[in-house]
Amino acid sequence: MEVTLFIHAADDAFRILENAKVQAVGLLDTATRLTSETRWMEEKKVQGILKGAQATRSGFQNFFATFVMLLAFWALLSGKFDTFHLSLGVICSLIVAYLSHDLLFANVRVGDGRVIAQRFLFYIPWLLREIVTANFYVAYLALSPRMPIDPQIITFRTKLESDISWVALANSITLTPGTITIDIENREFIVHALDRKVAGDLDTGEMEDRVAHIFMEADHIYIQDVLDVSRVFAALKRGM
Amino acid sequence: MIASSDDIIIKTIARIFVPFIQLYALYVIMHGHYSPGGGFQGGVILGASMALLLITHGYDEVKRRFPENVVLLMGSVGVLIYAGIGLTCLLLGGNYLDYGQLSVILHVEPAHARSLGILGVELGVGFTVMAIMYSIFFDISTGGILPGDDKLNGELEDNG
Repeated sequence: MEVTLFIHAADDAFRILENAKVQAVGLLDTATRLTSETRWMEEKKVQGILKGAQATRSGFQNFFATFVMLLAFWALLSGKFDTFHLSLGVICSLIVAYLSHDLLFANVRVGDGRVIAQRFLFYIPWLLREIVTANFYVAYLALSPRMPIDPQIITFRTKLESDISWVALANSITLTPGTITIDIENREFIVHALDRKVAGDLDTGEMEDRVAHIFMEADHIYIQDVLDVSRVFAALKRGM
Repeated sequence: MIASSDDIIIKTIARIFVPFIQLYALYVIMHGHYSPGGGFQGGVILGASMALLLITHGYDEVKRRFPENVVLLMGSVGVLIYAGIGLTCLLLGGNYLDYGQLSVILHVEPAHARSLGILGVELGVGFTVMAIMYSIFFDISTGGILPGDDKLNGELEDNG
């Protein structure tokens, strides 16, 4: 009697344990599924950020933006605003936009255009001031009797990423008296400088920072940082 | 044969300026009867924009963008426009290229018809000059080997 009772009790205990085990396994399953779901969602979010940063305009957006700019250029050139000449302008702008819509906006990301234009406008006065001060310095070098020039070729590696920002920086350097960009090779700028001071001014990298600001290269780096941190975070979570 | 340029500065500036050069060329053609310029000058500018693209972006890119047979067809169409307008004037009872006669077809005053006729002729001249300029530059840069002559090209390479 007692033996059978004991066996029953043991059976019950076994059943309870079995149930608990099944429940625990179910819980674990849901838990892992949840984490994988959340991980998938997080990865999707990260991919969205990445795509938003790297998505370029579609073909039609490029076409339309080129068309509007060309039509404005036409109006500036023509100066005749009767129906006949305006329709000629529309037709010509359409033709040229069709032929070369992928030339003008090759590397522009979505939504950047207005910000870039605004920042570029604010960059011009600073560049003009730099040009004027450098002008006076070069005039001093040329006019002083000893002519204390020290021509040198300096190279530096740029952190800029797109061709348009390289060209903006290179032309800014060339426009500033005393320095001339000779070439860009594999992100290495080769610059001829007239003097040690001029070369030092270039080495501070202020111009490069400002150009990076115009073309939102800094924002690009910021997004890259977020991605790196999220990758480290995901790796940590996988480890736990 | 011209390969794509290595100089990133020249390449980027050309990429940005080519659409504006082309629009300026069309402006010169279209305003030929008001201001200096006209079909020939505009056509040369248009051909120059293509030559710029050929120098900077290389033969393959330009061949993809402006196939040579299409451009040559445009040249022939330009001549056809010029001769067609001239012959239409002749058929309507005037002299060759006597645009005033076009007023019968276009239903406008003779003075307006002259303006439109000159515009059409300049369009034809512009097309032809552009096509021929481009073709000459293309032929010089490829050493006279046309795009379809792959066999001839191979033989020339084999021979030396």
